[in-house]
Amino acid sequence: MGLLQGATELFPVSSLGHAVLIPSLLHWSFKQSDPSFLPFLVLLHIGTATALLVLYRQEWVALIRGFVTAAIRGQIQTDTERLSMLLLVGTIPAAILGVFLESKIKTLFASPSVAAVFLVVNGVLMIGFELLRRRAERRSAVMASSRVEQEEHFAQAERISFRAAAVVGACQALAFLPGISRSGVTIGGGLLAGLRHEEAARFSFLLATPTILGAGLVEVPQLFAGGVPVGEYLAGAVLSGIAAYASARFLLRYFRSGRLDPYGVYCVGAGLVSLALLHFNV
Amino acid sequence: MKSNGLAIGLGVLGVVFLIVAALYALGVLQFLASTSGPHYKHAILFVVLAVASFVAANFARPKGTIYMTDPRR
Repeated sequence: MGLLQGATELFPVSSLGHAVLIPSLLHWSFKQSDPSFLPFLVLLHIGTATALLVLYRQEWVALIRGFVTAAIRGQIQTDTERLSMLLLVGTIPAAILGVFLESKIKTLFASPSVAAVFLVVNGVLMIGFELLRRRAERRSAVMASSRVEQEEHFAQAERISFRAAAVVGACQALAFLPGISRSGVTIGGGLLAGLRHEEAARFSFLLATPTILGAGLVEVPQLFAGGVPVGEYLAGAVLSGIAAYASARFLLRYFRSGRLDPYGVYCVGAGLVSLALLHFNV
Repeated sequence: MKSNGLAIGLGVLGVVFLIVAALYALGVLQFLASTSGPHYKHAILFVVLAVASFVAANFARPKGTIYMTDPRR
């Protein structure tokens, strides 16, 4: 579960969808209603967020410094300061929706069949984002000899507008639906806002870090409840962190020239296969 | 868009958010909360909103020119 969570949290394929579907399809004896399941998820998320913090450690130091400087000065002067403010603007809508709606939505839709349907929807969204991106490339008459060169015609994360950052941040709330990927919708939103694929992934990962870490840390007291096998759960969290680190490194390299649509095709296929397996009770 | 009125409004909003955060942390406020008792998640959210409001207030504040000597002379 740790490896699964760490890998799928950052790949645009929905960690929650896989966490609902795979135990059900493989007949694992996980009971999501078990009181010790929430602390387990909390630790897995903290593992993922720690991996992202390690990956972007130098950038986070610069971002925090830039944020404090710009906040005190009341003016943005550098790209780092602008990015720190964009991340704040992007985090607020997700935090509001997360605090007030997350548990209600998750409870409402936490069934394997619903997760499979939303996985198909997620795939269609990824393919749709790429279709719109290709149209934008044609409209701006981007002529390049390679994909890397073609990507250079698009913007860096620091150049996204504040309105777009807020919309991309709010899109994270869609990931409360099992099957819809947080990184998928934020990377897709970044693409629509005119970012390069690699920069959209970077913005998505930076945006995810405070959200995932915050959501995990506020639940830490649950770990000290009786009957929680902390040692086993910590091992899961470490595996989750390692998988998340490797996934992020892979994805950042992949998105230098790669696109979202292979993940879209995977989600549509995996969703349909899961629906069939669940229907025939295999 | 810079004005003293907007800056004051955002500052007041920040103070209101801090009060709401304290009420959630003490368990006095139960609005949109699923259980009774203190709601630290809600409190942290409102602290973040308060910080964002104060930052926005500082951005909205018109920056005056600093005169080394009295400009009327």
